Amino acid sequence: MEAVEVEEITRVFEPRRRSGTRVVALDEVSLTVPTGEIHGLLGPNGAGKTTLVKILSTVLLPTSGKARVLGHDVVDETEAVRPLIGIVFGGERGLYWRLSGRQNLEYWGALYKLSSREAKERAQQLLERVGMADKADERVEEYSRGMKQRLHLARGLMGDGKVLFLDEPTTGMDPLAAREFRALIGELRDEGRTILLATHDMVEAEMVCDRVTLIDRGKVIATESPRTLGQVLSRFQRIDVEGVPLVVLDEIRAIRGVASVTAVDGVGTRIEVDEEGATQLVLERLVSAGATSVRTSLPSLEEVYVQLIGERGMEI
Amino acid sequence: MRAFRAGFALELWIIRSNPDALMPLFTAPLFAIIFMAIVRQSGRPDLESDALMAPVLMTLLWVALQHAGTLMVGDRWQALLEPIIASPTSLASVLLGRIMSLMCFGLLSFFEVWAVGKLVFGVSIPFEHPVELFLTLVCTALAMAGLAVTFSALLVMTRNAYTFTNSTSFPLYLLGGVFVPVAILPDWIQPVSSILFVSWSSDLLRASVNEAPVESFWPRLGMVLLLGTASFAIGRVVLHYVLRRMRASGELAAA
Amino acid sequence: MSAVATTLNVMQHAFRAGIADYRAIFTWKSWLAGWYVRVLAQVAFFALIGERLGDDEKTYYLLVGNSLLIAAQVGVFSLNMTSAERWAGTLPLLVASPSSPVVVFSARGAYLAIDGSLSALGALFIAGPLFGMDLPWPRVLAVVPLTLLVGLASYGFGTFLAGIVFRYRSINSLVVVTTYVSLMAACGVNVPLSYYPEPLELLARFLPLTNGLLAIRGVFAGLPAVEIVGNAALELAVGFGWMTAALMSFNRLASRGRRDGSLDFGA
Repeated sequence: MEAVEVEEITRVFEPRRRSGTRVVALDEVSLTVPTGEIHGLLGPNGAGKTTLVKILSTVLLPTSGKARVLGHDVVDETEAVRPLIGIVFGGERGLYWRLSGRQNLEYWGALYKLSSREAKERAQQLLERVGMADKADERVEEYSRGMKQRLHLARGLMGDGKVLFLDEPTTGMDPLAAREFRALIGELRDEGRTILLATHDMVEAEMVCDRVTLIDRGKVIATESPRTLGQVLSRFQRIDVEGVPLVVLDEIRAIRGVASVTAVDGVGTRIEVDEEGATQLVLERLVSAGATSVRTSLPSLEEVYVQLIGERGMEI
Repeated sequence: MRAFRAGFALELWIIRSNPDALMPLFTAPLFAIIFMAIVRQSGRPDLESDALMAPVLMTLLWVALQHAGTLMVGDRWQALLEPIIASPTSLASVLLGRIMSLMCFGLLSFFEVWAVGKLVFGVSIPFEHPVELFLTLVCTALAMAGLAVTFSALLVMTRNAYTFTNSTSFPLYLLGGVFVPVAILPDWIQPVSSILFVSWSSDLLRASVNEAPVESFWPRLGMVLLLGTASFAIGRVVLHYVLRRMRASGELAAA
Repeated sequence: MSAVATTLNVMQHAFRAGIADYRAIFTWKSWLAGWYVRVLAQVAFFALIGERLGDDEKTYYLLVGNSLLIAAQVGVFSLNMTSAERWAGTLPLLVASPSSPVVVFSARGAYLAIDGSLSALGALFIAGPLFGMDLPWPRVLAVVPLTLLVGLASYGFGTFLAGIVFRYRSINSLVVVTTYVSLMAACGVNVPLSYYPEPLELLARFLPLTNGLLAIRGVFAGLPAVEIVGNAALELAVGFGWMTAALMSFNRLASRGRRDGSLDFGA
């Protein structure tokens, strides 16, 4: 059985005021996640990721279409779906901040039908697992952002759900904590859980997911292996540089794999590269020309989309 | 039941860690002093136990409105409503647990006014009809919980829930006859008051602490329970309807 | 611009900001249907106690006292505003600006004194006749400025308390409500000051509302103008005193906040 099946889900938000606009958050989205997979849902802010996660976790109704979690319909069979899922929202809200971390977890344990003893035990285990055991009895309002995020994850696991929905779970985490968090996601998969990870972070999606669905403006663009994504990421680079003589820039323009060299206000010159290996050549040339202020960065999600779509000859 | 217990415990934790929640326990003795001073100064010892009971009812109403009535709005603002809905537990049971917890807390005001009467004014509450008094207090707290469910469900969608609850306090004290019996109010208000269980509760509470026998106690207590249950039922229906609407419109999350 | 003109300009803008906040909460309709109904109910609640006591004089006494309490009560709401300011994270920005936060606050919340006074007068002039009370024309007009005086004095008191409890946001509404119910108990609203033990009576004289209320009762009782003006002057002095104390407590707050970092951004 598939863990998550989404068939042509559409969700429209009607304007709440007359002056508001009608928003199509999801437009006939289909998607399948087999049991035991870590599936990435990658897209920029406003792509519809959260809307999909909300529909799958039974708190929002689709306008049309069907979705099932472990074979149960998320619209009609909520009672069957709810015990099977765990939800982790990013951000700082969603916790009782006057309560300690442990009290929060025990409360949610009861809501997931655990006895007090089970809830206590599970809370302790999870607190240790997310590295919060020593802060467990402090109030949530005293926690740092990263600690709240970890508590969110523990909260999502209190119900021992078989399918986990993680919506931007590493927002605001420091890089180290985010790395530990990703390792934990791997462990959860090894325990046989299915994970749907909504994120706007390409690197995160590439690192932890078995497959990644790219979504933008409510539509699925493609489902890819993270390897494809990785290749795109390693091929496309953007180099910003300041104070380089025009002659050198002309030379760089001639290097194979350099897509464009443009002057950008406030940045200096931006060089875009679309072939593996070209970045190295460009950097070598810049350094030998004495450029010191050189910065490389990843392309934006939109640029990757354009590239992927261009290669497939698809239209948005 | 587990959800009810969880809600009950949660609210105790919240009260313990939130000094603002203790507000009614500060105001109840002050109101007791104010009312006692008025009746003392006017030389009306016969109204002294009434003066002590009024703050108890005011406290319960205040807690029902201000704290219990805004539980769901608060949860919604804290982005807690969605995860609760997504859990396998019924929201209504958790909510009721939390509300009952608050009501038990509100009943502490009875002991406060007792102490104020004794220590400041040297009067004791005459426990002439202890069984009636006890049952009235318990049933009143239950009916208040029913009222709070209704408010909770009605207020969850509003933007200015606290402004609303603030505006409702004294009109309800007045209509509920918490100090001045409804019988003294103008005739046209009486029908409104009589469908409000508070007016039955306050008459019964006063009767329970005065020497005269309590007339037709059981039917009147039954009225308190009946109106309280009706309020609870209305609250459940509204809650169901509101949650369904919010799930469809996507308004479970505060914008 | 001269210093005075600058200050006035700051105050004008702060006052407008306050009004804008207020209008986000209330429209005319919701003010009438929500707040004003509550005000009338609160005053009627106490006036009816007088009816139950079967004493018209007592009814009027309670009616006047509790109407005026509304002006004081709303003044004390200035506590909420400071806390809201902290919540919004704008306070450190205010401290960092070249204007004094007290100037800003005192203007920002001035609408509270006006709102409170209007509510109080609205209660008095509507509920009064409903309960059969005589409003001696035209001397009753003297009540209007006196009420405003009470509103302003209480506003100063509230601002002072705001400085005190600023660091303890979690007890904010506890302090607001406990304060106004305490004023209701202590300031001669429901029973004459003489009913209380002497030290308490003396203490009450230093609180806002007490002296202003005596002045207003004087207007209704037809006391000589000199007595009324005397009490009004005391109310003014009390209000001025609390405002000065507020100024000091805010300056202390700002300097302490700079030292220990309690003026947090957006906390």
